Amino acid sequence: MSKTPWWADENVWRKTAIWVTALMLVALILLTFDSVAKITAGSDRVPAYSVINHRIYYKMDNDRNMQVPVIGGQAPLFGTVLSEEQAQAMVSKGKMTVQAKNCMNCHTLLGNGAYYAPDLTKAWLDQGWGAEAVREQLMVNFLLDPEANARGYGTTRKMPDLDITEEEARAIIAFLKWMSAIDTNGFPRNFKPIAQEGE
Amino acid sequence: MMAQAVNQPMSQTAMRGKLNSAELNAGQRLAVKYFSVAIILFGAQILFGLLAGLQYLMPEFLYNVLDFNVNRMVHINAMIVWMLYGFIGSVYWLVEDESGTELVGAKLANLAFWVLTAAVTVVVIVYLLVQTGPGEQKSLWLINEGREYIEAPRWADFGIVAVVLVFFYNVAATFMKGRWSGISGVLVLDLIALAGLYLAGMFYSPNISMDQYWWWWVIHMWVEATWEVLVGCIMAWGLIKTLGARRKIVTTWLYIEVALMFGSGILGLGHHYFWIGTPEYWLSIGGFFSALEPIPLVAMVVHAVYDSGVHRFKNSNHPALAWLIAHAFGNFFGAGVWGFMHTLPQINLYTHGTQWSASHGHLAFFGAYATINIAMFYIAIQKWRGDVFMGAGIRHAWRWKWALALLNIGVVGMTVALLVSGYEQSFVERALQGSTWAGYFEAQRGEWFVQGMFWRQIFGYVTAAGTLLLVWDLITIGKGETRPAEKPTEHQAQAQAA
Amino acid sequence: MTDPVEAQQIMLATMAGALVVMFGAIYAALFAWSRLRKRPAWMPAAYLAYLCLAVATIVLARSLHLSGFWSTVVFVMLFGYLLAPHAIWHLCVGTHESAHKTADTDSRNPLNGGQTNE
Repeated sequence: MSKTPWWADENVWRKTAIWVTALMLVALILLTFDSVAKITAGSDRVPAYSVINHRIYYKMDNDRNMQVPVIGGQAPLFGTVLSEEQAQAMVSKGKMTVQAKNCMNCHTLLGNGAYYAPDLTKAWLDQGWGAEAVREQLMVNFLLDPEANARGYGTTRKMPDLDITEEEARAIIAFLKWMSAIDTNGFPRNFKPIAQEGE
Repeated sequence: MMAQAVNQPMSQTAMRGKLNSAELNAGQRLAVKYFSVAIILFGAQILFGLLAGLQYLMPEFLYNVLDFNVNRMVHINAMIVWMLYGFIGSVYWLVEDESGTELVGAKLANLAFWVLTAAVTVVVIVYLLVQTGPGEQKSLWLINEGREYIEAPRWADFGIVAVVLVFFYNVAATFMKGRWSGISGVLVLDLIALAGLYLAGMFYSPNISMDQYWWWWVIHMWVEATWEVLVGCIMAWGLIKTLGARRKIVTTWLYIEVALMFGSGILGLGHHYFWIGTPEYWLSIGGFFSALEPIPLVAMVVHAVYDSGVHRFKNSNHPALAWLIAHAFGNFFGAGVWGFMHTLPQINLYTHGTQWSASHGHLAFFGAYATINIAMFYIAIQKWRGDVFMGAGIRHAWRWKWALALLNIGVVGMTVALLVSGYEQSFVERALQGSTWAGYFEAQRGEWFVQGMFWRQIFGYVTAAGTLLLVWDLITIGKGETRPAEKPTEHQAQAQAA
Repeated sequence: MTDPVEAQQIMLATMAGALVVMFGAIYAALFAWSRLRKRPAWMPAAYLAYLCLAVATIVLARSLHLSGFWSTVVFVMLFGYLLAPHAIWHLCVGTHESAHKTADTDSRNPLNGGQTNE
């Protein structure tokens, strides 16, 4: 045993394993404190829920070399300006519906989920809704009866009927609008948003 | 403990070749229960994978009856749960042997098994029959949480935590009563981390960025950190038991691998924080530590070559060894090659959220975790049948060989097919079409994409055939075999290496 | 820092990434095998694999538009991957050394000399 060089010794490696793990964990915890503060709703990267009262644009940021969200003027969702609390309640209802309807096992959100249906990160800003003026109503109609309003773009894939109520549909749209304002470091790549007033 | 094995009474010849639970200790009797359920869930994973895959080709198939989201949820949940069952079973399998004493709280452990299995059954039935609920808290508590991989409703989360605590108590108390070793020390600490991390996934937040931040703590820290170390512990024990490798060396190498895996894997979490709203510094941290993640694999390659030359191992369980070799290659290609291909942010910006991830996921989960569990199933069935001969010249050897071949060809085939689809998708949808819904569907219609999905399904059938054969083999292997297992012995070859 | 790859280079970059890991393993395996079998004639093959690894790494780094600080990181890593099999080989010899030298009681029945950990 005495022949074992110190750098090949069992105890040395046990201590190394413990120290490496502890060090990495501490680093992760410190980074987590910082990151959690930076992704709390109302921060620069993740906007307050009342952002659904505003128009959301994207513009190229040459310094960061990526497209970044820009909060524009008033454009209240369904024509009603909401307080921060009301907006949070509505977005939360939408998020909860997205979970309860298991959307993530067909769609991706922020790129995570399943790949059977399109990514929802910027669904609010998708060109597929045609014109800004009719977008909200088209989205409600689609969620209430996805089969009749199928948007398969030449495929036969269509969303199933998930018994979404009108209140839930509106809440989902609030959630999608809020999510589209999150700064995702340029994901998805090259996104081309719908044309909006004031651009 | 090895002396125990050698001194086994020879009067058991009569029982050899039949299933005989008296051959097993209390922990092992529990282990075979866990393994049995694991195999059933493995079957469910394959079945629902086939249904979901078919829906890519025929979207009308089971539309509004058993929709893609349900099939896909059962597909991935069955996978996570069968692997956990396999791990829990493996730990129960080795705990008495490793601690040198009887399992503490065997009755409680049995109860926990039945509670967990009943809970899993109820969860799956609710998934299939109720499927979704209204957008209220009670849906998340009773039906499903709608978060990929950890969809289990909240009530089941508490059940899982309770059962894991019982499991942890059994294992830790048994080691405390018996003896500790390097392997059991790492194992118990790893189990604390594994169970503790699950708590990070048990809350609701309206903030999707916050939701996914903690969600990745569970998913990444399980599959790219604590599961790997757990497998390392099982492998370490297996090397000592089945190949007669020396404990001191195995333990030292377990520590080395823990240092390398946690050293690169914990902050490797950063490669999931590129695009979910988290700060830009994660691009650098995630990219850098991802580039370090192949190092533990390189260490394994060198050490495996060294070991093969220094020791002449006589192996007593050929199917298990074959699956361990499949594990080594599968882990290397699935986690190493397929992971590194698209993990750097400059590439991941195109590939994240496309079939690339599906390609990587299929090979990595199979290569790193399915293979090792299947190896454990073979180790268990050998003992359960009375420590029968499972070396060269075993009867009906074609069954395990073909099961091995079909499963590996099937999964590799699916992986390559999904890669073709994934490349087409990232190129057309992201690079050319500006990531719109129209771009998404244009990619989905593309000929390469459709061809990829078609071949994925074909290889899915190959995988399913391999699974059926594997189950048949596990049920029948060693039946009527009267020869005893060869004892693992290690012949020291000339230490040519110096 | 993100300067994504050109669309036309997605394939090139991903394949380069795959080859980095592949050649890393081939280099490690050939290196270990050559040492083990005492066949120095095979060692050039190992370094050829390392050369391929280096080429793949440079192709990858270029397609990712790495420059400045990150180019330095790439070279440090390349150097690290060159040394890694050497270091791990030493570790193998070192860890196995203790077992060769100790008495049979310890090695045959590992628990005789095993230490308790916790």
